[in-house]
Amino acid sequence: MARSRSVVLACSAAIALIAAGGRASVGPKATVVIFAAASLSDVFRELGDTLERRDPAVHVAFDFAGSQTLAFQIVQGAAADVFASADNRWMSYVRDSGFVAGEPHTFARNRLVVIVPQSNPGRVQTLQDLARGGLKVVLAGVEVPAGRYARDVLSNLEGAQGFAPDFRLRVLANVVSTEENVRSVALKVRLGEADAGFVYATDVTPDVARYVRVIPIPDASNVIASYPIVVLRHAAHPGLGRAFVDLVLSPVGQATLARHGFTPLESAH
Amino acid sequence: MLLCLLALPLVSLVVRLSPAELWSRLQQPVVLDALRLSLLTSASAACAVVLLGLPIAYLLATRQFRGKRLVQTLVELPIVLPPTVAGLGLLLAFGRAGLAGGALRALGITVPFTTLAVVVAQLFVATPFFISAATAGLGAVERRYLEVAATLRAPPGVTFFRVMLPLALPSLLGGIAMSWARALGEFGATITFAGSLAGRTETMPLAVYGALQSDLDGAVALSVLLLVLSFAVLLGLRFAPWSAGIGIQGARGHGP
Repeated sequence: MARSRSVVLACSAAIALIAAGGRASVGPKATVVIFAAASLSDVFRELGDTLERRDPAVHVAFDFAGSQTLAFQIVQGAAADVFASADNRWMSYVRDSGFVAGEPHTFARNRLVVIVPQSNPGRVQTLQDLARGGLKVVLAGVEVPAGRYARDVLSNLEGAQGFAPDFRLRVLANVVSTEENVRSVALKVRLGEADAGFVYATDVTPDVARYVRVIPIPDASNVIASYPIVVLRHAAHPGLGRAFVDLVLSPVGQATLARHGFTPLESAH
Repeated sequence: MLLCLLALPLVSLVVRLSPAELWSRLQQPVVLDALRLSLLTSASAACAVVLLGLPIAYLLATRQFRGKRLVQTLVELPIVLPPTVAGLGLLLAFGRAGLAGGALRALGITVPFTTLAVVVAQLFVATPFFISAATAGLGAVERRYLEVAATLRAPPGVTFFRVMLPLALPSLLGGIAMSWARALGEFGATITFAGSLAGRTETMPLAVYGALQSDLDGAVALSVLLLVLSFAVLLGLRFAPWSAGIGIQGARGHGP
């Protein structure tokens, strides 16, 4: 029928236009691939834009996931130029496996917070409330940096004033899901499905903040997450990788990180 | 060749570990937990898909009605939907804060993060596989037999269970096998909707993904197990006596 034929034609034209448009923007550019921890999504995308503005011949592509997933993929031969991890453990794994070019540099630090949905269905007001039976707590998995940090925080809190000696065990008994990356934890809380979750302070972006309440963790019991970054040994574009790392370590990069809530390097204890 | 593309990854998985190593890894609690959970949830999903899907397949195969094409499209949709999208949709629909969340809560039911959520996710993605096979099978039953049954004054229920169903059985079994296998391998919707917790929601595909992050050989062992199970299902149904000579795809008419 004439009508369905013209619909098909219109769709084909649309697809061709979109494909052509896509190719045009990636065409003669060099693409530098950055593997970065999920918690770096917003700040690194902004820094990627900055790098592209400075050098229009460069396209910055990102793969954001749990650091453990990325480290594993790199060691299995994934093609990336730069790796930014949320902890030293996975960076050491990549380094000890012989996949780094040069020494990793710490470029940012982060702290953990507890978030609950705006409506607070679990009626969690204080950290102690997390141990109450029947709550739905979501953590990142044990292999994920954010997951390990969260469990460390629970251990720290257990030893602190005002917390029961079995605090950590009781909270862990409330865990209903162990997510692959910290942003998934934030998502479950933001959607109101979890009663509480442990995320980085930086994961409470303006978009997320509208839907959650933050319960801070006292500095004395909190962990300071260290983020190292390195150019990878088998990088296809080591020079561009180096440029991105330099940007991250530069005053511009540091200011951008600070603006997104990362703890400045100098003031960390 | 395409067959090499299909065969080589499977062979690579199987040869990676020695049988002794494989056996010892398969006895770890995390593996047994995941296995038990996978079998329980996929079997439940397969049962549910048959009980709930057969009436729909019957209607689609034998009746014309307004909105039939809409129903057909709806039933086929989960195949083209990326599983993670399905999971997100399920969360937004049946989550505590979802569209149906209030109603479910009033009934005392919360779905996310439970084993029920795993079954629901599997049911969602497996439905099209059964319904399309069942519809084709039931639709291929020759009208003559149904008419003969009617002249013998058989009530519709008897006609369905004693005439249509046996003739359509190979297609139905094929549909059950495919939907069961799809449910067994389901990952994206499960991890988004049900989350991942050992013993409660961490099915074998999720356990493989988790193991990949720290223990490659553990992941391989789980993968081989999953492979063997899926193979058993598909082969078992292909060589079962009731599908002999007719094949998984469809019931061909008997007689002239």
